[in-house]
Amino acid sequence: MEIPFIVNARKDTGLFNSKVGIWLFLASEVTLFGGLFSGYLFLRLYADYPWPERALPVLPGLINTFILIGSSVTVVFAWAALKMREWRKFQIYMWITLICAVLFLGLKGIEYNAKFHHQAVRLSSEGAVQDFGYLEGHVHYGKLDENGQLVEVSKEEKKENPEGVFSANKIIFKANELTFALKRPAHEAYVKEILKQAGDQHTISLVGDYRVIDEKELHAGGKNRAQLEASAAALVVADGAVLSIDDLDEMEEAFLQARAHDKEIRTEFLRASWSWIRDEKGIEDISNLVITTDLWKERMAEDNEKIKNLMLSAPGTVRYKIEPPLTLVWRPDDIPKLAKTELKLRDDTVVKGELQPSPMLLGVDAIDFRHTALRAEAEGIDPLEAIKQSWILTHKNSQGENELKKAWICHQAWLRHLTEKLDKTNEKKGLEGEDRLVPTENDKYRINWDQMVGYARLDYDPERVYQALSDEGSGEKLYRAGLFDLGGFAGADHSNKNYHFPHVEIPRENVGFTSTFTPKWNTYYAIYFTITGLHGLHVIGGAIVLGYYLFFGRKMYDSNPEWLANRVEVGGLFWHFVDLVWIFLFPILYLM
Amino acid sequence: MSADSHDHHDLPFWKKYLFSTDHKTIGIQYGLAAGAFLLFGFFLMIVMRWSIAYPHEPLPGYLSWIFTDGWKGRWLDDGKVTGETYNMFGAMHGTIMVFLGVVPLGFAAFGNYVTPLQIGAPDMAFPKLNMASFWVYLAGGIVMCMSFFMESGAAKSGWTNYSPLAGYADRQIVNQLLAGQTQWLIGLVLLITSSLLGSVNFITTIIQLRAKGLTWMRLPFFVWAMLVTGFLLLLAFPPLEAAGIMQLMDRMVGSSFFMPTGLYSAADDVALDLSGSGSPLLFQHLFWFLGHPEVYVLLLPAIACVAEIIPANTRKPLWGYKPMVWGVIVLGFLSFIVWAHHMYLTGMGPVISTFFQTTTVLISVPSVILLTSLIISLWGGSIRFTMPMIWAAAFLPMFGIGGLTGLPLAFNLADLHLHDTYYVIGHFHYVVAPGILFGLFAGIYHWYPKMTGRFMDNFLGHLHFWPSLVCMNLLFFPMLTQGMAGFHRRWYNGGEGYIEKASDGVNVFGQTVADNISLNEVMTSAAIALAIFQIPFLLNMFISYFWGKKVTSDNPWDATTLEWATPTPPGHGNFTFDVAVYRGPYEYSRPDHDKDYFPQWEEPKRDAPVVESEENPHKESPEA
Repeated sequence: MEIPFIVNARKDTGLFNSKVGIWLFLASEVTLFGGLFSGYLFLRLYADYPWPERALPVLPGLINTFILIGSSVTVVFAWAALKMREWRKFQIYMWITLICAVLFLGLKGIEYNAKFHHQAVRLSSEGAVQDFGYLEGHVHYGKLDENGQLVEVSKEEKKENPEGVFSANKIIFKANELTFALKRPAHEAYVKEILKQAGDQHTISLVGDYRVIDEKELHAGGKNRAQLEASAAALVVADGAVLSIDDLDEMEEAFLQARAHDKEIRTEFLRASWSWIRDEKGIEDISNLVITTDLWKERMAEDNEKIKNLMLSAPGTVRYKIEPPLTLVWRPDDIPKLAKTELKLRDDTVVKGELQPSPMLLGVDAIDFRHTALRAEAEGIDPLEAIKQSWILTHKNSQGENELKKAWICHQAWLRHLTEKLDKTNEKKGLEGEDRLVPTENDKYRINWDQMVGYARLDYDPERVYQALSDEGSGEKLYRAGLFDLGGFAGADHSNKNYHFPHVEIPRENVGFTSTFTPKWNTYYAIYFTITGLHGLHVIGGAIVLGYYLFFGRKMYDSNPEWLANRVEVGGLFWHFVDLVWIFLFPILYLM
Repeated sequence: MSADSHDHHDLPFWKKYLFSTDHKTIGIQYGLAAGAFLLFGFFLMIVMRWSIAYPHEPLPGYLSWIFTDGWKGRWLDDGKVTGETYNMFGAMHGTIMVFLGVVPLGFAAFGNYVTPLQIGAPDMAFPKLNMASFWVYLAGGIVMCMSFFMESGAAKSGWTNYSPLAGYADRQIVNQLLAGQTQWLIGLVLLITSSLLGSVNFITTIIQLRAKGLTWMRLPFFVWAMLVTGFLLLLAFPPLEAAGIMQLMDRMVGSSFFMPTGLYSAADDVALDLSGSGSPLLFQHLFWFLGHPEVYVLLLPAIACVAEIIPANTRKPLWGYKPMVWGVIVLGFLSFIVWAHHMYLTGMGPVISTFFQTTTVLISVPSVILLTSLIISLWGGSIRFTMPMIWAAAFLPMFGIGGLTGLPLAFNLADLHLHDTYYVIGHFHYVVAPGILFGLFAGIYHWYPKMTGRFMDNFLGHLHFWPSLVCMNLLFFPMLTQGMAGFHRRWYNGGEGYIEKASDGVNVFGQTVADNISLNEVMTSAAIALAIFQIPFLLNMFISYFWGKKVTSDNPWDATTLEWATPTPPGHGNFTFDVAVYRGPYEYSRPDHDKDYFPQWEEPKRDAPVVESEENPHKESPEA
């Protein structure tokens, strides 16, 4: 059996099969990315926070655009070479295409990596207007001292002795009791983490025996409940047993079995009572109402008496005590519920003890008050007043200083210069009223990381900032010249020794919402990562297919070169589509 | 091309039946898998209906024996269905029936088996893709259903999976890959991938592999319906895939695509650790952009089957073939711009609602053209009441009720009262169950002789048909009444809380919940009976395969389309002669022909007068 029109085109349609197939596939791809692009529009139009416009470093994206355009050209050359039966040329052009794909993905990787290591914080979520300021930067390292208190660790110290060092965005909790919920299996990774942090110095032991009445003994009869519970067969895990996953599994198993047993019995009783009321009493018509009648209630009370002695009634929780109290370090994500004396992990394990100071240590490279301003304006408050009252500008660190405030003052100098410059332009061009050029919200309320680098280079001196901007001849510049030394290629460079970013300690109660620059931070990064990630997968998929033709195509080239050319044509069409998607992505994500 | 043309019988078992690239085997695989999923979805529904009728009674033994003790301990409250379990079953019932049952049965099973035969092709254009499509579908189905056995249970936020509820459900599971809601999304992405591969394959096959002389207007209506269905799947599914990916991101990495600002869970007393500013409405738009065309993906294969069966059994041409073809194309197009009529109550605003109300009313025009043409096709025919014809005949009024009860829902004003009530449930179940499923049953009885070489048994067929017809109506008609009385579609206890409020007065339709609650028991009994009367069908499928009456010719129904020109059952490569088509698909009872049917492949007689004119409907030539 042969499928027609694989190599040669069908006369009336003028196409071979896979070409029809790829165009249909691309049509569906258009609606796939169409769905994502409309998602972008929807999220941007209805965003209730200031959308991060032009938030990404443009250069990597721009280079990638040209890389992809170039590869689209070479893939056509590769196809043309095949058509002319020039294998060597085909190989060369295909190699270039694949190298372009790898370069593209490499650059993408650098961009992604910078974002994964860049932290953002929205201050306290209490809802007051002044709390909606954002800080961006790198989390510093910390470790616990012998008293279980957080101390900062520098990068160099971390390199020398990485033992026990963590990035300082953690919940630190001095625990003396753990309660596991047997209804849900305890999450193994959590138990392991607790055991690891406990080490040899702390013992975690079961409080009281965990006993479940043995089913066989119960049904054999002859013992009362106290005897049943005391019997050796009832013991699952003994008092004082040290915490282990095996024990937990065993108790969970015993609990689930007992619960299933109890429910089975109750179900039987319930069934019997329903047939009794149906057959004996004949109140069938109102079956839904039966349970509200006294007759039913009497029967249930009787049944409950009988049931009591047939139950295994296994306890649903087990308690472990920790001696001496152990200071545990948790990722905030693992703790949905946190109070001063108790926290709950995601697997419903309750930890009792005392919350320790768990500040976040942050080297700040950007400050953003746009959301504060947005909220203030909505409520009719002067944005600058709200900003002045914000924690960012009012707090003091342990030295009694506020480095963020210094940066903010520098920014006012920058803003003064910008306003003067715009005013000059207004005057020169005779712009009046609504046409006048004024600083944007972005200018007024946000210190971007490249600006922060500039202020840092000038030691946060507002006068020098103003001078550097207005007097070209003074020798000082806000940004040092050079394409690659704006402070970083894909974001602020925190390892540069020539300047230092403001350092803050944010108390846990002031951390409203925090995330790295990942999809979690806001809907812009969510859609950015989703679309570019999906696009990246298309690049990988396309590269695999084209690579297959390059590395395994020779055999087909020898037997049926036209067929191979068809395949490369189809792969090339896909590759063009991938390029086209990026040409749409670049402006909407990087430039708009 | 390679010399890969060895005979079907040389292949080892696993290549012949499991990893087959033959469209007929794949079609049957789809049919069997979809049938299994349909039965499972049916079972879930009976458990739900038990809970609705008898919310305080434990599940009877014949329903609960299937659950393990551990499962019962977790999900049943003393043997009774809990609200959470009901939600889980409801969500999975919808998902399974739509995505894993009816679409694979209609489009994939019938489409795969019949389409290449009807266009005279040796196989699909991309046989390996076809096989991949089936296995990806099966993987998606299994991933979705496996979650019943996990700690979280299966998805539980409705088959529409609306955020933020769907985004919050199962959040407590630490490893989100093992949460039912996540599995649902992964399964969905797999199913979409499968349907994408399938639809590309179908459309390419229909465009490229038509036999010599099979011009567009000589295509059987079945093929047209499959072509339009293919385009619907191709273009409507990807936006849902986008939504699925976004919701997957919400679950796996904590983004807020569909999670609005300030979410707070009262049950857990926590504010959610999310950025917010997402849009739940966006999910609904993306979902229904697929969701509505999906309705036609369900429907068109059933209409396609009926449109083949009616001419063959009335012995006259399909009435209005051309209007039906244009109708189905317009229907396909319009189905892309009606989606937001599912969202009248979301507060989109009157302008958008009016637009979608208009397009929704417009789409009833092509729908009515299709159904009316089929009804008129019966007029003046000498109808043979064969088994397939009985099902096809029942399809017409049943689908009619389903369609007509949809009209009030198209209007904003009426939808205000009826939205999310049992009226909606009744409406779309009339379309899908006694409508579409009857059409597909007709198809099974019709093509079974071609697949196996034996007829299905008539007695068992009648034992299947008549009780099913009665039970379907007893099950679904009361839903319309209950819906008008205000029964909400998601009550797990059938609305018993409203019994004591009987005195509160009547609603806008003059009804109360209390007056109609006794219907719950009628419907539940009907559902159980309906299940029992599917047994004759299952027996019939099995028994007839071995002992059914053998067919005496390759064309047992004396039909005209190409699938009947193949050997029975067709071998690998399908046709044993060089296929050429000389005429339209429904040439029955032609006065100039001695038999009452004139197959598409039969060469015209040499001595017959050939009239060369555009107007002549009987112009016969194998032009390509």
